Amino acid sequence: MATTTLHPPIAQPYRRSALYEWITTTDHKKIGILYFINSFVFFFIGGLLALGVRAELAQPGLQFVNEDLYNQFFTIHASAMLFLFIIPIGAAFGNYVVPLMVGAPDMAFPRINALSFWMLPAAGILMMGGFLAVGGAAAEGWTSYPPLAGPAYSGTGTDLWLMAVTLIGTSSILTAINFLVTIFKMRAPGLTLFRLPIMVWTQIVTSVLTLLATPVLASALIMQFIDRNYGGNYFDPGNGGSVVLWQNVFWFYSHPAVYIMILPFMGIISEVLPVFSRKPLFGYRAFVFATVAIGALGFSVWAHHMFTTGQVFLPFFALFTFLIAVPTGVKMFNWIATLWRGQLVLKTPLLFAIGFLTMFLIGGLNGAFAAAVPVDFAIHDTYYVVAHLHYVLFGGSVFGVMAGIYYWFPKMTGRMLDETVGKIHWLLMFIGFNLAFFPQHQLGLVGMPRRIADYAADAGWGDLNLVSTVGAFLIAASTLPFLWNIFASLRAGEVAGDDPWEGNTLEWATSSPPPPYNFDHLPEIHSTRPVFDLRHGADAGSTH
Amino acid sequence: MHPLKHPRNAMFVGIVFIAVGIVFWAWPTIAGGYFEPAGLTLLVLLGVAMSVMAYVLVAGSPRD
Amino acid sequence: MTTPELALAPIGEEHSPVATLPHDARGGISNPVLGMLLFIVSEIMFFSGLFAAYFNVRALAIEWPPADIEGFGINPIIVVATGCLVTSSFFAQTAVRAIRRGDRTTFLRAISITLGLGISFLALEFTDWTILYSEGITMGSGVFGTTYFTMTGFHFAHVVGGVVMLSVVLYRGMLGQFSASHHDMVEATDLYWHFVDIVWVVLVITLYLLPGR
Repeated sequence: MATTTLHPPIAQPYRRSALYEWITTTDHKKIGILYFINSFVFFFIGGLLALGVRAELAQPGLQFVNEDLYNQFFTIHASAMLFLFIIPIGAAFGNYVVPLMVGAPDMAFPRINALSFWMLPAAGILMMGGFLAVGGAAAEGWTSYPPLAGPAYSGTGTDLWLMAVTLIGTSSILTAINFLVTIFKMRAPGLTLFRLPIMVWTQIVTSVLTLLATPVLASALIMQFIDRNYGGNYFDPGNGGSVVLWQNVFWFYSHPAVYIMILPFMGIISEVLPVFSRKPLFGYRAFVFATVAIGALGFSVWAHHMFTTGQVFLPFFALFTFLIAVPTGVKMFNWIATLWRGQLVLKTPLLFAIGFLTMFLIGGLNGAFAAAVPVDFAIHDTYYVVAHLHYVLFGGSVFGVMAGIYYWFPKMTGRMLDETVGKIHWLLMFIGFNLAFFPQHQLGLVGMPRRIADYAADAGWGDLNLVSTVGAFLIAASTLPFLWNIFASLRAGEVAGDDPWEGNTLEWATSSPPPPYNFDHLPEIHSTRPVFDLRHGADAGSTH
Repeated sequence: MHPLKHPRNAMFVGIVFIAVGIVFWAWPTIAGGYFEPAGLTLLVLLGVAMSVMAYVLVAGSPRD
Repeated sequence: MTTPELALAPIGEEHSPVATLPHDARGGISNPVLGMLLFIVSEIMFFSGLFAAYFNVRALAIEWPPADIEGFGINPIIVVATGCLVTSSFFAQTAVRAIRRGDRTTFLRAISITLGLGISFLALEFTDWTILYSEGITMGSGVFGTTYFTMTGFHFAHVVGGVVMLSVVLYRGMLGQFSASHHDMVEATDLYWHFVDIVWVVLVITLYLLPGR
């Protein structure tokens, strides 16, 4: 029988412009990069607002802005950093890395994934649009307490803020559903729950917190919107409402929210430390249970933000707040044990990870002091709290972000970031951060309140404020080598290859960057370190 | 089946919050002190929601 | 992909509540249905915030309903509306069971009745609101009015969402897009509709039937 070899034309994707591709993409990797870009835009906007705050506070006297504009600065600084930078960038890392780590070709709901992303720039525009509104942007603090945030004392900017945060919350909830379905349903064969990377476990707990807590925030924001615009009385004591009601419902979300803001980055640290110590993560199961415990306990402590209202049952909340130190301590000791006697590879990801450990330790310790009710009565609404929150959110989360960027940039782009420039970035950021925030402990202890545009010249607060401002500008300066590194490496960085760090987890088993469908072949999975096993032969590994 | 894989056992994590809610109500009621109805409502409904979530995630997972 | 065989039932006893939900080849609940269940979980928490606010302001009040609220109580419109919604859930479940066995005719009829009852609920609820407004009980009538209209208002919005979903199900069903092995959207809509029904029952008990003070 005569046979003919057929050469059918190879199907090519219908070529479209790059802009169209990026706007309409449903690929989790591209969406992850879009999340990164949006997050960093708002990191810089939030950072500029912080510089405005610090410039004004450097010395007594109102040099640059009036009180009203100052209030808008600190409100939008915090709102942009929390809602438009740190929470979405946790989703950015999750979006890029989680499907790869579980061996899936994409997220469970790719189109909803795209929708989740595009809600964020829209929300950001709404929130920033407040600056152009009559009366300016929201100016009541990111906590938006009535009556200051009620109809009598605030304007359009606050309504825009409420709408923006509701939109961001909706985006987060959809993403949480996406992560949970992806992780529970789309894992590669052999990848049991107890073989998942800790990065994925932290994304599970973060998604659970987001799913359960964020809707409560949405209900609070809507109640405030109704009070402001439809004659509602939720928070109006004159008509049967209560201002402390707002605080309860708001903090019921906002306390779990701080775990949403730290857990993904604890996950990143848990991936970076084993790879750069050349050792397995110490106490894997303990990490899983500690992560779940932190998430669970985090729901029971919300009123520790309200100790001074007189309408809180203090012992319950103080007890549960102290309890959270236990699983957190377990994680700290396990991270240290991972580093202990390891063959440390002192590259930038590890430097940021060690920065995380030391700075988050300080933030955790000063938080534990605040959990004691008598201490809190003295330091509530002072700069001590500002020091605490920045040590955990910047010293913790942002250092975790940087560790993750330096670690996964090669995977996302195929290029290595420059090591020397990275170390300069780290050093400047570490020094600047501590200069900016360590003095604030003392400022809080001597009584400097939060959210004030100015202070008396004879208060004696000028010197420490000046030091803090210098630190803030040093942080700003440190972002310049970081940006330079990103752009220069994209153009001419050293080619990374599939696995430049000798990693453990599945994302290193494919090209850098991965193809659209992620994997040509998946290695067999018998442990928590499938790529380690592949590299060393399954019998050589001692992982379970 | 391993206890950690049984969906009914997964609901335990939500029941915990209903227990926390009971403590939240009982402790100030017995010892004297402020009791917040909003807090009890949120904790109990959180327990319900979390039980449902844990159940469907475990029950809905693939068998392997 | 939906497979009704028990052999591919999800982890758990054969008679578990999720055993009859659509499963995919590896034995889990299908992705869209699991996604809808998780969405419903988040909606439980959304309503929790509203209920928490209600119980908080109720505890603060000297009497409840407050003295200046007159003419509020369980009335025939609310009873009939509740009947409509509860009955509609039975028809929704009938529709799902029908399409699971491939009976498109029963499925379409039952979905149409569900949709009709849902729209009736909306009309009755709207009528009740109009009557309350004419009696002077409005969104601004102290926290009583605010909480009442916010909670029933958001429930109304959720029913509207459900009505939209049921309409799409009916439309796609009439085009023949659902079969015994492919009907995830019907399952998801049905679950959402039951949720909306349960929230209404809890709302009626809370807002109308709990003893006053």
